[in-house]
Amino acid sequence: MGFYFDQTRCVGCFTCCVACKDWHDVPAGPANWMRIACLEQGEYPNPFVAYAAVPCYHCAQPACADACPAGAISKREGDGIVVVDRGECLGESVCGGLCREACPYDAPQFGAEEDPRMQKCDLCLDRWREGKRPICVDACPTRALDAGPLEELRARYGPQRECPGLSWSEKTGPSVVVRPKTRNSSGGAPWK
Amino acid sequence: MTGRKEEVVTTMCASHCGGNCLLKVHVRDGVITRVETDDGPEPQLRACQRGRALRQRVYDPGRILHPLKRVGERGEGRFEQISWDEALDTVASQLKRVRETYGPISILYLPMAGDLGVLHSVMVGHRLLALAGGYTTWWGATSFQAGLMSEYYTFGTICCSNSRDSLLHSRLIIAWGWDPAKTIQGTNTTWYLARAKEAGTKIVAVDPFYNETAAAFAREWIPIRPGTDAAMLIAMAYVIVEKDLQDRAFLDRYTVGFARFRDYVLGVEDGLPKTPAWAEAITGVPASTIERLAVEYALAKPAALMAGIGPGRTAFGEQYHRAASVLATMTGNVGVLGGDAGGRAWVSVVGGYPYRVGLGSGLPFARNPIDDLATWDGVFLGKMHPRIHYAKMADAILKGRAGGYPADYKLALIVNCNYVNALPNTNKTVRALKSLEFIADVEQHMTATARYADIILPSSTYVEREDIVPGAVNGYYGFQRKIIEPLGESRPHNEIFKALAERMGILDYDTQGEEERLRSAVAKARIPDYEAFKEKALYWVPRSGPYVAFKDQIEDPENHPFPTPSGKIEIYSERLAAMNDPLLPPVPKYIETWEGVNDPLARKYPIQLVTPHDRRRANAQFDNLPWLREQLPQAVSMSKVDAESRGIKDGDMVRVFNDRGETRIQARVTSRIMPGVASLPEGAWYDPDEDGVDRAGHPNVLTSDEPSPGGAFPYNSVLVQIERL
Repeated sequence: MGFYFDQTRCVGCFTCCVACKDWHDVPAGPANWMRIACLEQGEYPNPFVAYAAVPCYHCAQPACADACPAGAISKREGDGIVVVDRGECLGESVCGGLCREACPYDAPQFGAEEDPRMQKCDLCLDRWREGKRPICVDACPTRALDAGPLEELRARYGPQRECPGLSWSEKTGPSVVVRPKTRNSSGGAPWK
Repeated sequence: MTGRKEEVVTTMCASHCGGNCLLKVHVRDGVITRVETDDGPEPQLRACQRGRALRQRVYDPGRILHPLKRVGERGEGRFEQISWDEALDTVASQLKRVRETYGPISILYLPMAGDLGVLHSVMVGHRLLALAGGYTTWWGATSFQAGLMSEYYTFGTICCSNSRDSLLHSRLIIAWGWDPAKTIQGTNTTWYLARAKEAGTKIVAVDPFYNETAAAFAREWIPIRPGTDAAMLIAMAYVIVEKDLQDRAFLDRYTVGFARFRDYVLGVEDGLPKTPAWAEAITGVPASTIERLAVEYALAKPAALMAGIGPGRTAFGEQYHRAASVLATMTGNVGVLGGDAGGRAWVSVVGGYPYRVGLGSGLPFARNPIDDLATWDGVFLGKMHPRIHYAKMADAILKGRAGGYPADYKLALIVNCNYVNALPNTNKTVRALKSLEFIADVEQHMTATARYADIILPSSTYVEREDIVPGAVNGYYGFQRKIIEPLGESRPHNEIFKALAERMGILDYDTQGEEERLRSAVAKARIPDYEAFKEKALYWVPRSGPYVAFKDQIEDPENHPFPTPSGKIEIYSERLAAMNDPLLPPVPKYIETWEGVNDPLARKYPIQLVTPHDRRRANAQFDNLPWLREQLPQAVSMSKVDAESRGIKDGDMVRVFNDRGETRIQARVTSRIMPGVASLPEGAWYDPDEDGVDRAGHPNVLTSDEPSPGGAFPYNSVLVQIERL
């Protein structure tokens, strides 16, 4: 399973982030299963602004799972969703968050509680069971997100896997399809 | 019953954000556990980040759960819990005391819209105070008074907007000071913009700030000096006239007064042709850009000039709105699918889609005897003595009759209104509130305003009562279900006012009861099945396509005159001419703003401050919610040039100040803003230190309480200086 992000439609409203925190009951604080990175480039009056939605991309070779000393992280058979067994996680105070260090996208998250166990996006496993898509996908006001089997996403949206704010990792192989925003697709000030 | 299965109840979120969206609220054991949004057929009414934070709003630790009595100084925030009986008796006896001692004119009713509902609107307080002998209230819509005034004099109505799906039919969209990515502007507006852009529609943004809508969708950004929008629009009119690109047939058939406007534009009237070069010097926009955009707009029919209300919140903002509507008229874009009349592009509460049922409580109308004394000077919704312009309320409280106001004011009843936050010149507001004899506040949260109240009456939120809401510009109604019991001792404000009425000896306040009023509102809206509406929480008004304002007037003018005195679109307004006020001219004119670059004050305070809405708030609503606060910390945005010359780096704490006040907040140094301009979003809850310096980045400590001649609130006509701390 993978994730689709249409960067040309993202207005940086953070609805996906808030919907995620509400659905998974994650308090305000350092743990954010879905993050929005804001990029700003260029000089006035030709700025370029783009947002990148950064959940867990459920990589083909998840570096977090390889890095975990307790074997608490696994990639599920079949759907390929990368999950953490929080009961097995040793906690940030023991291992220092090796999974987070290994992940090119900082997907593994640790809360503000004492000796936090790792938590992260599970692509809303509970919602797939009910036949629903992830909460972020169903929340996005501009319909910029989708999720599903990677091959289906590629067939529907094309082969692109990089956009400003998201580099494709050869090592881990993130399960992501994007529609990138470019200067041509967005604007600037042609009169200059 | 513990452990009972989770229930999912659909309701309509109607905060003050500009949207009306469906929420599917999960409830277990009477507690909201989580929230989903519309998953039905498109167009789904998907809720934004604010609506999704519902749980934190309802269960905010700062929710007021019991009636409170002030025990500390006003503003200090020290209260003790009292009974409803004591609270209501106190408020009722204070109302009676002030009425009998000073007369009803000394009673101030200070409401705002707050959460939007038909029954739970601020009209509940109007009825109570009117039946109790009268009261003084305000005129002037803080958000868009300039736009209301312009729409009324130009088109004769304030319902001037097409539904947002009309944008899918536009060939050009000009987002003028319009940022629906932040302010929603009707649910799904950004979705329609995305689809319009993908279909090849060119979107141009005009704004001093490269806002979120511009960044996502605009092919071109035209930065413009705050307060100069009318000059650019008028220069565009000059280009169109000079190249003879105006829609002559349209002008002949549907309008009056074009020749008078043309004379002004060409300089026949005053010897000054309003050329693009003239406008470049004022606006900072290159003349060639003005000329090109004018030609594009004139030829791109249908084209939508979406005139945001921010540029109207300036000194002489009325002229901006009038100029936008006249430009839309000249190009024949009024009453056209894919066009737009160039009215206010924010129409959630007042105007927009012509609903049969608006916000008004469903209670019988009661005349306010004080308003009966009113003399109308003729400005729509305004200049209605003895009403007070809302920006001048603090001045009126402080000065009273000695300052030329109609009365000395002694008591304020505040409802659905974070008055301290919302109105300009906060330090004056605070002095005024401290001088009153009594303040009662009906509130949900411990806001900056509630801290100044003597008695706080806790009101419940929209998930704790039943109501219906009209769906902004897009032609639907929503039902708001009572999903949980009111928290603590909080009550719906209908009940609060009914209880107050009884204590005031008013027995006919509500003879119908809420359920009956709700059913009759639904019937009046011609919604056929009450129970189905309640269950789905949504009813679309039947229609055959996008709603197009003034379609009838354009397609069948003989039988559908415009509701103006001439029956036509009034480019020249006899009603404005009759006012004989050079600052409210009968055709739109550029009038130089105060606190602009040429103001002598600019030598001391060289930065023009704009105070737009923010993504994580709806005005001051939602500012207290952690899920929203963590995403977008409050900051003042400034250009690299202005930051470097002041030794300011991104993230530095700065002081933003002028003679009216000071706020301290972090700086965001960005290439997204025009040099000479800074942007500090409004709505952050005022948080003064012991010297009165605000620590929240609350811009109204800096804004002026002097309204524009047509009543516009000049929240974006502010000069400041910024220094590193």
